[in-house]
Amino acid sequence: MKVLLDRKRCEGHGMCESAAPELFTLDEAGELIAHFDGREIPANLEESARDAVRVCPVAALAIEQTP
Amino acid sequence: MTATIGSSAPRFDLDLFSDENLTDPYPIYERFRAAGPVVYLSAIDAYALSRYDDVRAGLGDHETFISGRGIGLSAEGNATRKGVIIASDNPLHDQLRSVLSERLSPKAMNVIRAEINEKADALVASVVAQTSFDAVTDLAQAFPLTVVADLIGLPAADRLRLLEWADAGFNLWGPSNERNIRSLPVWAELIDYIVTQATRDKLTPGSMGAAIYEAADRGAIALDQCPQLFVSYLVAGVDTTINAIGNAVAYFAEFPDQWELLREKPALIPSAFEEVLRIDAPLQLVRRYCVRDVEVGGTTIPADSNVVLIYASGNHDDRKFPEPARFDVTRNPLDHLTFGYGLHGCAGQALARLEAHAIFRALAKRVTRFEAGMPVRRLNNVVRGLEHLPVTVS
Repeated sequence: MKVLLDRKRCEGHGMCESAAPELFTLDEAGELIAHFDGREIPANLEESARDAVRVCPVAALAIEQTP
Repeated sequence: MTATIGSSAPRFDLDLFSDENLTDPYPIYERFRAAGPVVYLSAIDAYALSRYDDVRAGLGDHETFISGRGIGLSAEGNATRKGVIIASDNPLHDQLRSVLSERLSPKAMNVIRAEINEKADALVASVVAQTSFDAVTDLAQAFPLTVVADLIGLPAADRLRLLEWADAGFNLWGPSNERNIRSLPVWAELIDYIVTQATRDKLTPGSMGAAIYEAADRGAIALDQCPQLFVSYLVAGVDTTINAIGNAVAYFAEFPDQWELLREKPALIPSAFEEVLRIDAPLQLVRRYCVRDVEVGGTTIPADSNVVLIYASGNHDDRKFPEPARFDVTRNPLDHLTFGYGLHGCAGQALARLEAHAIFRALAKRVTRFEAGMPVRRLNNVVRGLEHLPVTVS
């Protein structure tokens, strides 16, 4: 499973960070760092990843199921 | 009623916007949710989505449920919002949004956070010192009005009418009823004010209002788009936050154990604010225009129909939120529908959170208990909140 981040939509609300701090961090300037951007999410973090996608208020995150 | 041909949606003939139903809409929403995924409301010729998953999916599908044909239920009301961001589809929407989010994103809030916290603390200190006050007029209205007017850079003398204008603006989201019709001339005054009085030279340099014109200077938007963005700031940032803060005090007074929890653990303040927003959404619903036949839970919504997405009903769907009527400051319902979702998700939500958290923190420092008198509800076609809430604090 991968999480796709649409940078154009992201406004830095930080909900994903509170849902999945292992996957997302807002830096000092308020820019979102996606730690697994474009990479496979570890199995133990898949649930957190789904939570992060669910709470993004502007739908900037999406799940991509990988085989 | 031809609109139901081709659709098996259960039909309701009630008037969702009558005084009685606006006073307590939740039992009606419950009937909608129980009746099916889609219901047809004959009085407004619209299909309604009332279950959490469906409202959210509808908000997420902005290509099927478009905004550019209006987000309100009357032609006159929709005509007042031509070119306004909330009633725009892409590419126009993203163009306008980028100008707003430059100043409203959480990043932008870092610049004003300290100032807002100080203002909240000073206001709360002064009202709490009176022991008895009106939590709506003295606190919930006073704070966002000052914050928003200062941020936009409006001259001090012009602020008094903001409340009336915002109330009119939201009444114009409703169907063509008495509340809607009497709001039209009030709205015309607001537009006249923006065009003839809140002109560029009157706005505080560096303010959000001035930034709109600077965006036009650098070609990000056209000059004639400035008034529409101005309207978004004025209307969207006032009534919504006011009602959220007023509702919050009412809930804290009704459930002192929840206030006690928050006071013991101020880290719960963000969660408590989301719960206030969930349990009684200041903005109850939005209208979209459905451009193609679409199936929701086995029921078809035909192309070219009005669709009402009821945020407040989705927030009370027990498939999503167990015991939805229970006010629980530990619930942290981050994915409630009160700010909408997706493309049109509230652009000012970071500011709303900043304001509310600041007020809650300032209250938590000073108030152990709220005793509330009889609240007076203000009826608006789509906004839900109080007109007065007398409280005594200790």
